[in-house]
Amino acid sequence: MATWKHRRTAFTAALFAVALVATACRGGGDTGGGGGEGEVATGTGVTQEACPKTPNKDNGCIYLGVISDLTSGPFAALAVPITDAQKAFWARVNEQGGIQAGDQAFDVDVTSYIKDNKYNPEVHRQVYQEIESEVLGLAQTLGSPTTAAIINDLKQNNVVAAPASWTSAWDFEDVILESGTNYCLESMNAVDYAVDELGAKSVMAVHYPGDYGEDAAGGAKTAAEAQGLDFTAIETGQGPENQAGAIRAVVGQKPDLVIVTTGPTDAAAIVGEAAGRGFEGKVIGTSPTWNPALLKSPAADAFKALYLQSGPWAPFGADTPGHEAMREALGSVEPNDGYTSGWAWSYPMKAALEAAAQNGDLTREGLVEAVTSLKTVDYEGMLPSEAGNYADEPNDAVFRQSVISEVDADAPTGVSLTKDLYIGPSAEGYELSEPCF
Amino acid sequence: MKELLSSTLAGLGQGSIYALLALGFVIIYKSMRVISFAQPALMLAGAVLVSYLVGPFGFILAVILGVVGIALLGLGLERTVIRPMVGKPVFVVAIITLGIDIALRVVINGFIGTDVRQVGDPWGFSRVSFLGVTVQERYIAMFLTTVVVITVLFAFFKYTRLGLATRAASFDQETALAQGISVSTVFAMAWAIAGGLAAIAGTFVATGVGVDQQLWIIALKALPAIILGGLDSLGGAVVGGLTIGVVESLVATYQSDFAPWLGDNFSVVSPYVVMLLVLLVKPYGLFGTREVERV
Repeated sequence: MATWKHRRTAFTAALFAVALVATACRGGGDTGGGGGEGEVATGTGVTQEACPKTPNKDNGCIYLGVISDLTSGPFAALAVPITDAQKAFWARVNEQGGIQAGDQAFDVDVTSYIKDNKYNPEVHRQVYQEIESEVLGLAQTLGSPTTAAIINDLKQNNVVAAPASWTSAWDFEDVILESGTNYCLESMNAVDYAVDELGAKSVMAVHYPGDYGEDAAGGAKTAAEAQGLDFTAIETGQGPENQAGAIRAVVGQKPDLVIVTTGPTDAAAIVGEAAGRGFEGKVIGTSPTWNPALLKSPAADAFKALYLQSGPWAPFGADTPGHEAMREALGSVEPNDGYTSGWAWSYPMKAALEAAAQNGDLTREGLVEAVTSLKTVDYEGMLPSEAGNYADEPNDAVFRQSVISEVDADAPTGVSLTKDLYIGPSAEGYELSEPCF
Repeated sequence: MKELLSSTLAGLGQGSIYALLALGFVIIYKSMRVISFAQPALMLAGAVLVSYLVGPFGFILAVILGVVGIALLGLGLERTVIRPMVGKPVFVVAIITLGIDIALRVVINGFIGTDVRQVGDPWGFSRVSFLGVTVQERYIAMFLTTVVVITVLFAFFKYTRLGLATRAASFDQETALAQGISVSTVFAMAWAIAGGLAAIAGTFVATGVGVDQQLWIIALKALPAIILGGLDSLGGAVVGGLTIGVVESLVATYQSDFAPWLGDNFSVVSPYVVMLLVLLVKPYGLFGTREVERV
């Protein structure tokens, strides 16, 4: 009698393959409360006692959580520098005396409640529940699908969070303190730039599925339609071995411009192989597409010849007071634009905490109220202050400017600014009434 | 026609990677009856080790040292983590290999850091044309290297005493033990060979594009390959790996022309569709042993 042994083993193998990619578990959580004394109203996540590690022993402490992709997820290479930059940012705030609230001052602690989401929405929600009752807000919630998994909890608990992602959905959420333009408007600007500066007549968006790639592809499509260009969208999977279809489309259709929203190794496969097969159009990638080490790869010449980089703000080596403060605070680190992003994303939270403290209300409700009346944020020149508008309607408040950088082997992160913050006609005229994807 | 040939050749190159990985899975399965899910981490470790060694030693020597290094890592894992579990249900051991994979990858990620690492291969994206058919040099290198490695491996199993011991242990462990064969040596050797093969595969995966923290996912495509070929068939692993590579490449090239209704990126799932079809029709694979048990 034939047994099912092999059949069982084979099915088990298939099951494990799935389990390897996505392990899942759930946990319960509770909302806690805290008490406050003194002139400023305080609540959960704010104490009169000093933070565990602080130079200012007389200050109170505001605890902010960090949920990031710190070990085994796909964005760990960016998430670690993002988190390190945020630690440095808040250490600098504390060194400068902390958040002033009348006669009192509060330091900000972003190191006591750091959690790893492994870029898994369920893990993200679980670790959020674990720290929710201990923190006033989140200094970082990394990823769009992961943050989407907690967005209802954030709203319900009045927890304000700084995202580490640029999807257009965040423009519609009061508790999210997004910075820089979203992928959608950034790609509109990229298309407009290519039309103006490079004379592009046709556009192809090569993108990952999901809100990262589709937000950008949505923007590219809108701009292409507005400019009367031919447009094609090619969705592509993760992994260099899965890029053959996208490469064939690029080489076969020869668009003047390819907007790429992938990771760096996949971009290397697409740009390197397409150039090898005679593609001569331009490629503009969004920030997570680039990695300085691509300049050491066999695709380096192709990147130098074809590639431009769009982004929400200038890269690591730029010359603004914010960039300089970041480099000084970080000391000698291997330059990476994860640092730049982590640093820039922290300014609105600082502004919101200062506004709430000034209102004498450092409770969660007080912080939400401060955010909804925040019209400007001092980004120390990394972005103009009107980029920090969280008070107005999304279409009025959304920041529409982005930058274009070019490959520059001498720049710290391999790219340097070629066009500073600008708005193209497509982004300018776009009515943001819903997320782009 | 030229596109068909060049796509098939690229598929054979990519399939060589799957074949090497699949061989690792099968060699461990044949000796221990366990599917080792540590293969992705060993593959990643191989690529990363080569990326560190290529500076001082050059590519060829770096690959050889990398293979030796990861073989020793495989051996070490078997001796320390797997050995105490011998005799436990294979399901338990499989779960442990899953744990090894995750733990090892976290450690390796520390060595990858924030940048994409390069293995410094001599091929890059260079292409050669022969009778009008253009193919990347690295795919030819992958295929030829795999042919050599597999030939050596098959000769080893057929003609050496240790190879014979492996075959005997895989046929019947207790009888092999009774004949004086050291089954523990066979286990250790299986892990070492699987590690070495994974290191070669990892290096090839990283040619052209480099090593990032997500490289390991490719190793999972060896699973459809071994199920296609049969879990306990070395030849089946090779045929399965190459078939999966060619199917994937042809689907990527032609699906948008002939079956656009399947949606974008059907090539990504095509290996798994092949796996499911084979499971339905031949649950023990094309060349797997159909086991008979009396009840």
